[in-house]
Amino acid sequence: MQVDKGPQPIGPKFTPPKDKFFGLRVRVHRKKSIALGILGGFIFFAIWEIAHYMMPEAKQRFLPSVEHVIATVYYLLAEKGFIYDIAKSCYRIFVSFFSASAIAIPLGIGMGCFANLRATINPSVSGFRYLPAASFIPLLLVWFGPTDMAKMGLLFIGVIFFLISLILDSTDAVPIELTEASLTMGASPRQVVLGVIAPAAAPAILDSMRNMIAVGWTYLVIAEIVGANDGIGAVMMRAGRFLHVDIIMAGIFTIGILGVLTDSLFRLVSRLAFGWNIPQRG
Amino acid sequence: MIKMEIASNTAENTDNMSPNKKTVPVQAENITKQYGGSSFTAVDNISFELKENQITCFVGPSGCGKTVTLRLIAGLEYPTYGTLTVYGKQVMGPGPDRGMIFQAYTSFPWLNALDNVAYGLKIMGVPKAQREEKAREFLKLVHLEKFENYIPRDMSGGMKQRVAIARTLAQNPELLLMDEPFGALDAQVRWEMQEMMIEIIERDKKTVVTVTHDIGEAIYLADRIVFFTRQPGKIKADIELDFKKGKRFPRKEDLICHPGYAEMEARLFAMMREEIHGKPS
Repeated sequence: MQVDKGPQPIGPKFTPPKDKFFGLRVRVHRKKSIALGILGGFIFFAIWEIAHYMMPEAKQRFLPSVEHVIATVYYLLAEKGFIYDIAKSCYRIFVSFFSASAIAIPLGIGMGCFANLRATINPSVSGFRYLPAASFIPLLLVWFGPTDMAKMGLLFIGVIFFLISLILDSTDAVPIELTEASLTMGASPRQVVLGVIAPAAAPAILDSMRNMIAVGWTYLVIAEIVGANDGIGAVMMRAGRFLHVDIIMAGIFTIGILGVLTDSLFRLVSRLAFGWNIPQRG
Repeated sequence: MIKMEIASNTAENTDNMSPNKKTVPVQAENITKQYGGSSFTAVDNISFELKENQITCFVGPSGCGKTVTLRLIAGLEYPTYGTLTVYGKQVMGPGPDRGMIFQAYTSFPWLNALDNVAYGLKIMGVPKAQREEKAREFLKLVHLEKFENYIPRDMSGGMKQRVAIARTLAQNPELLLMDEPFGALDAQVRWEMQEMMIEIIERDKKTVVTVTHDIGEAIYLADRIVFFTRQPGKIKADIELDFKKGKRFPRKEDLICHPGYAEMEARLFAMMREEIHGKPS
């Protein structure tokens, strides 16, 4: 039976130049991308491992091996109730971060939409960004004592001002034509802000949040230094006093893993909620 | 709706002093638009009157104030001096009685074609079932009936612009304003869109103002061309395209073969050259 095979190429098979590792701005296939990422991680751990074994035996405890750190994480989880500390740290990060977001999102969008509001608030917010969050520790301790409130306050102060600025920028970046088109269709300011500008800026806002929660994680240890007896940071500080480098590194390792998980969670939400914003591959 | 309001406004006046003002779609008297205090004059003392069911094209070099004038009619900006009325009412802001199409794509990227077209109707408070039915009707008008579930990401530039046109027309505006609507499209799509616009305007009998610097587009679409000159923005010439004898042409090549077309094109090119290089000595 004759099968129509479509157009048949008659030219000789063309052999393009071989792929190079430093191909300029080439597209990397997803599988290759994952493989390269694993390779990169492997190289990092290999360097760490080599450094450990190259040290004189007496000093090896100051840089424990990879497997020792992982074993320590397991030990902390199994024997020391580390899962409770992790939960406590996550709780502090998420509560403080989402309260900061609850204020920063309406404020940032509002400032991006209304020039007068922006002129009123922006100079103060910009100034606050330059104040190191750690400098608020004494103040927070005086106000709240060694409570959860003080720790979450620090995390809150650490992210909110940057968050407002980033959300303002995301709102600013919404093309003016979307606003003007809605206005010529008779939309009220309220309908434009909530129905057009907010959804248009939403993917960029979520992206800013993803970046700022990473900053939140970096403040965690500082926040938990102060009179905390639970949380990942507190565990690490306690270990530091007894030169338990393996526990300190287990803490760092755990924060790293939690950071990667948080990042993936935000990416997943972004992909599910804002599919329209993902450029079509092909 | 707006027309009724106007009727009641003039009824109070009782006399027939300004019977034509009621029906004049746009009347501009000595409009001046300045920016930065009075440091830059974009539009300098222009006056014109647009006629019902006419397609008027604002043509001119970049920076001649044609887009500013269109934006003044839309109510997106206000004149610094002069009076500007739309169907007898002073323009005090944008509204759905004046639908506007922009050069940039303004379809909402998070809505599919159907919801985009229905958006304007939603703003007007049309119930869901009715606005979807109406949106489908207008998607059909712009030949997108098979694409109602497409989101702008998956559309070509021409499709996005069709969605924007359908969305604007679905609100049934009295005036259709277009600011270089096909400027971002490639030549073949632009030509398709021009023919589609003629088809739509003929069907709906709209009063249209369109801004372009494409002379071919202006002659094809317009019943009348208002030619702007720059620095400062003034009206250089007001040309009724009489050679068309009141006809509109569904196919562009029929117009190009029409007696008078070549002369009109030559005239406009000469005017544009004069604008760019100054008068030949």
